[in-house]
Amino acid sequence: MTTPPAALRRDWLRASLGATAWAAGRATFARVLGGALGLGSLPTAQAQGMLSGKLLSLSEMLDPIVAGAPVVRAGVHIETLILADNGLSVPFRVWVDSPMTAQDHVTHIWLLSQRNPVMVMAKIHVGPQMGRAELSTRLRLAGGQQLVALARLSSGQFRYELADLIVTEAGCVDGS
Amino acid sequence: MTHLDPSSTGLARRDFLKVSATAAAGMSLGFFWPTHGNAAETPKLNAWIEIQTDDTVIIRYARTEMGQGSRTSAPMLVADELEADWKKVRIEYATAHENLRTKRAYGDMATVGSRTIRNSQEYLRKAGATAREMLIAAAAAQWGVPASECTAALGKVSHAASKRSLSYGKLAAAAAKLEAPKEVKLKDPKDWKIIGKSLPRVDIPDIVTGKIRYGIDAQVPGMMYAAVAASPVFNGKVKSLDASKVENRRGIVKVLNMGEFVAVVANNWWRAKEALREVAIDWETGDNGQLTSAVIMNSFKAGMGQAELAVARNDGNTVQALGTAAKVLEAEYFTPYLAHATMEPMVCTAWLQGDKLDVWTSTQNPENTLAVAAATAGVAQDKVTVHPMQLGGGLGRKSPQDFTRQGVMIAKAMAGTPVKMVWSREEDMQHDLYRPASLVRFKGGMDNDGKVQALHIRVSAPSILATLLRLPLPKGVDGQAVASFNDHPYDIPNSLVDYAQRNTNVPVGFWRTVGHSQNPYMRECFIDEMALAAGKDPLAFRLANLGQKSPRDVAILQAVAKAADWGGPLPKGVFRGIAETEGYGSYTACVCEVSVSDKGDVKIHRVVIGIDPGYAVNPDNIEAQLQGSVVHGLSAIFWGEMTIKDGRIEQSNFHDYRMMRLNEMPVVKAVIAPTGGFWGGVGEPAQAPLAPALCNAIAAASGKRIRSLPLKNHGMSLKA
Repeated sequence: MTTPPAALRRDWLRASLGATAWAAGRATFARVLGGALGLGSLPTAQAQGMLSGKLLSLSEMLDPIVAGAPVVRAGVHIETLILADNGLSVPFRVWVDSPMTAQDHVTHIWLLSQRNPVMVMAKIHVGPQMGRAELSTRLRLAGGQQLVALARLSSGQFRYELADLIVTEAGCVDGS
Repeated sequence: MTHLDPSSTGLARRDFLKVSATAAAGMSLGFFWPTHGNAAETPKLNAWIEIQTDDTVIIRYARTEMGQGSRTSAPMLVADELEADWKKVRIEYATAHENLRTKRAYGDMATVGSRTIRNSQEYLRKAGATAREMLIAAAAAQWGVPASECTAALGKVSHAASKRSLSYGKLAAAAAKLEAPKEVKLKDPKDWKIIGKSLPRVDIPDIVTGKIRYGIDAQVPGMMYAAVAASPVFNGKVKSLDASKVENRRGIVKVLNMGEFVAVVANNWWRAKEALREVAIDWETGDNGQLTSAVIMNSFKAGMGQAELAVARNDGNTVQALGTAAKVLEAEYFTPYLAHATMEPMVCTAWLQGDKLDVWTSTQNPENTLAVAAATAGVAQDKVTVHPMQLGGGLGRKSPQDFTRQGVMIAKAMAGTPVKMVWSREEDMQHDLYRPASLVRFKGGMDNDGKVQALHIRVSAPSILATLLRLPLPKGVDGQAVASFNDHPYDIPNSLVDYAQRNTNVPVGFWRTVGHSQNPYMRECFIDEMALAAGKDPLAFRLANLGQKSPRDVAILQAVAKAADWGGPLPKGVFRGIAETEGYGSYTACVCEVSVSDKGDVKIHRVVIGIDPGYAVNPDNIEAQLQGSVVHGLSAIFWGEMTIKDGRIEQSNFHDYRMMRLNEMPVVKAVIAPTGGFWGGVGEPAQAPLAPALCNAIAAASGKRIRSLPLKNHGMSLKA
């Protein structure tokens, strides 16, 4: 059975409450979770029968990369579609607020997928010589999902932003 | 002639919401609250419900209607919790552009997978219950009494102690200004007043009076018409075309070479269609013109011997258990490609005006239509309006938007002029996204008591998910190709299901009931073969092998067997067959009673077909779906097959892709046996048990085991 995207996202965010080792400030954390706070139980996020793989929680996506370093939802911007007509080639632009100086710059940008078989869609090395921490690309997505753009700063801190993207279905993709 | 106003959105462009952090978090499905204070407009209690001062309750419906009846049954869920007076309910479509604008207040709009009720029931009921509580709170505040002393029923809030009551129309404005309750308690099923009632479908009067507007009926002032031709050999491209014979003909506006297809635009459709026949088109087809049904069958057979297979299920040790079983049976089954052949062919009317695009089409997924239209026209998504239209049949064909893409490509080439593109029946038959053909091999091992110890099912078939949607397949398995095999309900300790993905140049798609339209036929016929080999009654054999593992399968099997008087006397020459299946969250079973003449005339004396959908929202509509499943199913079982020669489909119209006729319709007894506690789909699952029950009855009557469809290829015909 295919669960409506909103419910998927709700479960995902619920599961995110279980994230450990986050150094995010309380206010940031609340922003991430929005209205999901106070929902009570903390079930593990499931793929809800989707054939295209397991839905990862936010912590499952971020933890392996940030490895306990501070992570804040700020300063990263995403521009993409709300509805994609298919998942094969979805335009996606991300930029990070940064002076991009030798002292203060972005070192890496990761593009992370909640649903694709391979979570890390891209890891881009950037540096002060680039002037801007910005990229445009097209993504192949295995269905509607939350996407994460994660940036590592030269200070060792991490920043990220989420995008909610629906790949409109051209048919019944549940196996039931 | 009705002119549709392209600016009509179905919703006033105001209000909705405080798009807060919850919106980004997707928590707001259907609960975007209206902004307060515009008294001139009809109060909206939430995205789904609007109440007018004359007590009319407008309930939004966010899916599409193609005859499945959920435009009636989904709003019933809202109305029940709202305690609305159904007689005062009016149902209006939510639109894709409004859904986009409100960051998907209406959630999923795809009308696929028999999932309108089962996937939206919770948020629809909550929308109704929330609005009810707000109306009660408004009345309580007006009367200065506790809300707990007030009750709502039939569109009114009452306070028994003071014998006061107010209609919803009088309360709505105040209620809409209140904060919505965060949590609401949904009714106990025993308290439902509308859910569970057989209510007439709301669209029937408009259908029978000709008032309803299907996608094909769209009319826009100044509209032109387009007929199209794609390469008869799949995936061919236009190499060259010569339109000199028709270009100066009366009414012909333009001949367009779109690369993938050719379109003739004219001032009426017949002129466009007739002219298209005389446009000389040379197609570039590469090697694809070599494909035949025999080549595809050879590929499927090679899949059977393929070294590496995707494993969809692996319980116990099937190979070993088959080696030690007392009795082993083996059989190979085949099901053909099928076309949807919807009554209304593919159609799309599109009008590109600058950066603004309007689309009228019969679509099973308006959001997909919007996204495809925007991408094709190169306009922003918020500049696209998809106008809701009734579908003249969908059956899964109108979910992929290849036809919308064509229609918008034409509109782009004719920018500024609205163009209605309509496929001819021939174009529709030859450019479908076909139900995949499938070759399946069964090997079953039993002990001496007829208990199945091992079952090996090998599937060799194309993948819809990998080719149409290009989705990654976890472990190489397409869930639709192995549906009802990988999740078979039988208590068999050793079960192996493996899959050879054999894609061809024939495009495949979702045909009503999808994998369940073919796999249950093969599974339940093979189960019957094993019952026969074990010398057991087919019902008793199934019950024994289902065991305690699948109580819902057992329950529906028993309910249908009882309704059919399984085991009871039958007239001379009449025989029964039985099957049970599960899919789309529901449980189904069927008994067919047939006689077969020496010439192969199959007379169906009765079909008893039943479903357990958990909760039966609108029983009369469910009965209609069961009957419709028999009509649709029998056409496919007796005559349905699309064959391939020279890289193209051989069939072209209803003379060689026959539908069942009115006088051939058998008696259908519908068994609706809801056991409660879950929500299952209804539109598709009932088709699954029909073919095996019928073929098992034919085997009982004639001794002839049918291992491939359609029946016409076995010299059989349906006797009226």
